[in-house]
Amino acid sequence: MEINSHNVLRGENKVRHNRLRLASCLFGILTLASIVLPFSSFLFDEYTVHLTGLQLITSNIRFSPELLIQIPIGMRICLVLSLVLTVSGLVLMLLRKYMFSSFALFGASLSAILEIIFVASVTQEASKAGISTVSGGMLYGWILFFVMALISAILALSISGLEKSAETVFKISASISIGIVIIITLYMFIYGSPAIFEIGLGKFIFGTEWQPTASDPKFGILYMILASVFGCLGAIALGVPIGLMTAVFLAEIAPGWLKSIVRPAVELLAGIPSVIYGFWGMKLLVPFIRNVFTKLGYDTTGSGLLAVILILAIMILPTIISVAESALKSVPPAYTEASLALGNTKISTIFAVQIPAARSGILAGVILGVGRAIGETMAVIMVAGNIVQLPGLFSSVRPMTAGIAFEMGYAAAGLHRQALFAIGLVLFVFIMLVNITFTFISKRGVQMDAK
Amino acid sequence: MRNKKKDIVLSSLIWSCAAITVAVLVGVIGYILVNGLPNMTWNFLTTTYSAAKSGSKGILPMIINTLYVIVISLLLGTPVGIGSAIYLTQYAKQGRLVSAIRFATEVLSGIPSILFGLFGYAVFVVLFQLKLSLISGSLTMMICILPTIVRTTEEALLAVPSSYKEGAMALGTGKLRVTMGIILPCAMPGVLTGVILAMGRIVGETAALLFTVGVSGNAMPKGDNIFNALFGHVFEQGNTLALHLYNSAMNGKDPVSVPFATASALLIMVFALNRLAGFLSRRFKK
Repeated sequence: MEINSHNVLRGENKVRHNRLRLASCLFGILTLASIVLPFSSFLFDEYTVHLTGLQLITSNIRFSPELLIQIPIGMRICLVLSLVLTVSGLVLMLLRKYMFSSFALFGASLSAILEIIFVASVTQEASKAGISTVSGGMLYGWILFFVMALISAILALSISGLEKSAETVFKISASISIGIVIIITLYMFIYGSPAIFEIGLGKFIFGTEWQPTASDPKFGILYMILASVFGCLGAIALGVPIGLMTAVFLAEIAPGWLKSIVRPAVELLAGIPSVIYGFWGMKLLVPFIRNVFTKLGYDTTGSGLLAVILILAIMILPTIISVAESALKSVPPAYTEASLALGNTKISTIFAVQIPAARSGILAGVILGVGRAIGETMAVIMVAGNIVQLPGLFSSVRPMTAGIAFEMGYAAAGLHRQALFAIGLVLFVFIMLVNITFTFISKRGVQMDAK
Repeated sequence: MRNKKKDIVLSSLIWSCAAITVAVLVGVIGYILVNGLPNMTWNFLTTTYSAAKSGSKGILPMIINTLYVIVISLLLGTPVGIGSAIYLTQYAKQGRLVSAIRFATEVLSGIPSILFGLFGYAVFVVLFQLKLSLISGSLTMMICILPTIVRTTEEALLAVPSSYKEGAMALGTGKLRVTMGIILPCAMPGVLTGVILAMGRIVGETAALLFTVGVSGNAMPKGDNIFNALFGHVFEQGNTLALHLYNSAMNGKDPVSVPFATASALLIMVFALNRLAGFLSRRFKK
């Protein structure tokens, strides 16, 4: 009896599967068929063009025998890709690989969406050719294509069961961040390395002359690297002690009411956008440095390494405070109690027992601060002065990040722009090293605490 | 006796460091607000901007552009972030994939925004031919906010008592139903906290948007009907509030009241979002 009902259930399932499969295939075929419907329209004045999907792939827009507007290659690639994906989705469906089939169909509908992007470049090309364009858009054929592919994908997904497909969807969205990291790494190398090869690694990193727009351009970024490194080290030297002491204050010393003032203050400090720090530095800090040190006999405009260090020290404070505070709090109370029982005062317990016990956590905070400081752009660019020269405390400098942001606006395509991407690559390698060290130390810290 | 002296020195050091931290905060916020608030009039917030005309220096277009970037990047980023947090907390078993995902999220949160800007420029602006537009900027921002959303959602999901889940499972509810029907709604305030934190990040972001949305877009959304105006603007350049602050502070053409007032508006927006996030997360903890 039991076996029987099981069999019936299985039979029903099979019928359901077959129906869904059929429906999904049907929608897939409709998707393919909708390519002969009008896909996109371009309204030029006195001239309207409707193109079907097939025409988008094969032909161009002809106004007169001599005037031809090309359909952008990207649009064609997207369209062909979505066709190929639909077909492979159907084939996978016949092979009963429902999950993969639905991914292929989803991909097809996605790459159909991507086509919108290229409509603008058609109208742009038309206006270059002297035709005033009114608008360009996508028509019902395209919408049909997109919707059909989507329905077919959803049907294919539902065959393999809701639970399993939901898990796959979650898994994919979790894997997106891996994909993004891989793509970013690839892109940094693809865009950054040509300039390094052309200039030469040694000349690029150890070169001291940066004259990208000269007739004999020179691309040496040693001074930028030094400015970044000095700025970062200075900020750490200044910010870490202050941050650590504030963390001690919050974790051990402060009475309750004071804590409820200082802690929100630290949170607010973390929330202030970097461009506001930069603006503040530019309007208050730089004139202040100029006034004070001109009186002391230095020749300075105020912007320079000192301003960078001060701004960065402020900006890394919240990071260091919050990480160090949680490290201090996770020190086992037995350590503290033992030290107090031996007759040590509270203050000497903090400095002799608690801070050493929390050192791995504090170190992790410092490394996080290094990453923050070396990558900071907006605050730095507004107070650094932006002259590429040997960094001095009171003279203008240009750290790597500021170099990229400052010149990206006007760098002509070619070696100059590639060189900026190469600076980005150097920065990326720095940051990755910092990240890996951070992961390593925080893992080792956990192990040390476990012991 | 010697020890006591040392104690006094050290504890005054601690107190003064804490005082420095608070003083810096008061100094930054006070300076910006004192100089900016008098200039932040209703007129300033609700009129359009023109670089050439000295009379029209309002920031309405920048506020609208900022909202555009917030909405688009959250629409794209939140589902991915929540889905990924659900996978990490409910489905994943410890293994290579999970540690790879965690490492990737950590790396993403450590990458400085200028590199996201370069990446967004290379991929969205150049490769996808989206040009300098709000959509390029929003796509870039989506990547920036992903780690924030994943981390806060993960924490919120883990904080839901496992007895809820076990109770529902014992009644024969499927895993998906348990996750979407019980765990996620219970964790909603925490998830919202993450979303609001991400909004704060977007509002303040400058470096990642510098070469993806363009700094010269000061136009209001326009078109022959409301649909075209609303969606057409997505593909146009758009200056956000933070970018506008940078621009007007650096180009020296605008009167100095403009960046100050913009900075005040920006600060107030960011603080309001932070307070909201703090409020939500405190309610969640109760």
